[in-house]
Amino acid sequence: MILYDYVLSASCYKIRLMAALSDQKLGLRAVNFHPAREHKSPEMLKLNPGGTLPILRDGNLIMTDSSDMLRHLTKNLPEWQRDDDEWLDFAKTLNETLGMARLHDVLSFNVDIDAARNGGVRLLRRLEAHLTEQRFDGMIFLTGDTPTIADIACFPNTALAPDGGVSLDVYPSIRLWMRAIRSLPRFIEMPGIHRLHELEAAE
Amino acid sequence: MSDPSIDHWYPVGLLSDINAPRQTLLFGQEISLTKEDTGFSVKTSGGASLPTIKRFGHLWTSLGQPDHDLFAIPEADTPGRHLVDVGSVKVKCSPLRAVENFLDIAHFPFIHTDILGAEPHTEVDRYKVEIREEVNEVWATKVKFFQPQAAKSAEEGIITEYMYRVPAPTCAVLYKTCPPRPGEWDIITLFVQPLTEEWCEVWPWMALYDDESTMAEMVSFQQLIFMQDRSILENQIPLKLPLDPGMETPTQADMTSVAYRRWLKRIGYSYGAQMVAA
Amino acid sequence: MNWIAVGLTDDIPAGTVVPRRVDGLDLAIWRSELGRFHAWSDRCPHRGMRLSHGFVRGEMLACIYHGWQYSLDGSCGYIPAHPELTPPTTICANTYVCEVRNRALWVALGPVKDDIPDVGDRIPIRSFDILCAASEIAQHFAHPQESLLVLNGRYDLAIALQPSTSRSCFAHIFAGAGQDRKIVSRYVEKLRDEMEAL
Repeated sequence: MILYDYVLSASCYKIRLMAALSDQKLGLRAVNFHPAREHKSPEMLKLNPGGTLPILRDGNLIMTDSSDMLRHLTKNLPEWQRDDDEWLDFAKTLNETLGMARLHDVLSFNVDIDAARNGGVRLLRRLEAHLTEQRFDGMIFLTGDTPTIADIACFPNTALAPDGGVSLDVYPSIRLWMRAIRSLPRFIEMPGIHRLHELEAAE
Repeated sequence: MSDPSIDHWYPVGLLSDINAPRQTLLFGQEISLTKEDTGFSVKTSGGASLPTIKRFGHLWTSLGQPDHDLFAIPEADTPGRHLVDVGSVKVKCSPLRAVENFLDIAHFPFIHTDILGAEPHTEVDRYKVEIREEVNEVWATKVKFFQPQAAKSAEEGIITEYMYRVPAPTCAVLYKTCPPRPGEWDIITLFVQPLTEEWCEVWPWMALYDDESTMAEMVSFQQLIFMQDRSILENQIPLKLPLDPGMETPTQADMTSVAYRRWLKRIGYSYGAQMVAA
Repeated sequence: MNWIAVGLTDDIPAGTVVPRRVDGLDLAIWRSELGRFHAWSDRCPHRGMRLSHGFVRGEMLACIYHGWQYSLDGSCGYIPAHPELTPPTTICANTYVCEVRNRALWVALGPVKDDIPDVGDRIPIRSFDILCAASEIAQHFAHPQESLLVLNGRYDLAIALQPSTSRSCFAHIFAGAGQDRKIVSRYVEKLRDEMEAL
């Protein structure tokens, strides 16, 4: 499997993370998204006329939607799929709000920044309410007490919200959920999401 | 604007990328960049033309009257190097905080974990720092640090040697061990554009010996490193860099930053700085 | 000076650190591996990095920037760049008094006269932010003080208000012992909507 990848993309990271957590090998092809806009080059548009990243190629199969990619990576791993449809959709709205606010603040994308941040806060409050109720039932992840692609899809844009000027300080349940994900075996970081250095002490 | 901080050259755009007019800020003032047949032009919102320099892949300008040319990096001109436009990133911090972070190595094991540093290799050996009067620049030399993955071109962990140079108030140049060419230095720079005192646009640029990595890979590596620092830069208090002792406590490992702050005070640079100890 | 609630203990497990803004003051609230709570200024004395981004190791809080470690009384105990150095005693995080009561952590920003407010046998539900000043909320409920609003009612609510900024606060919700927590959670979200519309 080859992932056409941009190191700072939250959506590309979903795929890199899922592959790492499920111990699957993923070849990475770095694409110069910024500043060269390589994802819009003729070669890349041939691969994906939509001009977006990530692109996942598995043999002759080419996927351009991150939800499809997450399903594909876990098609033989039923424990990673459970009641996740609504959360994969929710993840897309996080991308459109928190994700765009981040691209605005970091890479100067043209975005209605107030709408993006306010939209993001509404979604974070919904996420916080759900995760709080999960914790009442003794569960830490979105759809149960083990992680699924629902968690992996929602995690990056949530964890990177501060890059776009949206603080996570006021969401205790979201913070505990993020910590649980970052503590998973084979977890990998991306810039903006630090290693959990507390774990070093265990060695 | 009477602040003498404006009497220097500042990066405001990437030469390869100014195909459409670009609006940006410099010292809180709006400026616009356009590409014309004769070259690049930079104008204030009032229509006044500003002087320009094209160097290191970037367009430089000044709102004031610099009494010196933009600095040179002669080593960057040696043939065989890949000149890499890393692309800009905006950060909500003082331009001076961005430079100071670039000069620091003690954070490598914690912020660039398993790349530029790793526990337990955290010790920073004594190195040499000076303000070179003849060129009015800060230099740190004989800096050494163990790095698990020092560069995209490195195959394994090595002791990396560094030299740091501050040739202008918001610019820093790093010369570091070059794995494919022992004896040569890879060159990594940080050119910082002050948008306001608490907001900057950072333009990293590199001149590397690396015939294995693609351009996209070299760009990604440097963007990764910088973005790991960004959440630190946006969470240091106070936002402006304190130039007086009392607010913050340096140790031996911080000697480059101590020299940088002392030098800024000496040249009377105050934009993005806090002069009074709180 | 009053005691101010800054969090429910269930939300701050051992080995974690969280940020809290209390009356414009930024604090790092952390809990050691043995479960002890601390409330410190959210600022490392080294280069001003927020300690709330740091990490807990044993009974020490480390700053994420350079890994400087601070022990229970705030004094710096270890500087990774100089492992053999005994850090000067002048390097010290700024600490505040804090205490647990009723499964919530209360902080005193200055000398206190009264005891920590008592929620009785109510149970902690959750904490959330309200984009409305704590004083306005207390006024709205015609309640004398902000530290703890005892609302009683159907769910036997008590809300400890933590003023954050001039236009926002953090609310720590308690309800009667037998209440269904999900029902209470959804009810107080509606209360929040009402407050934010004020």
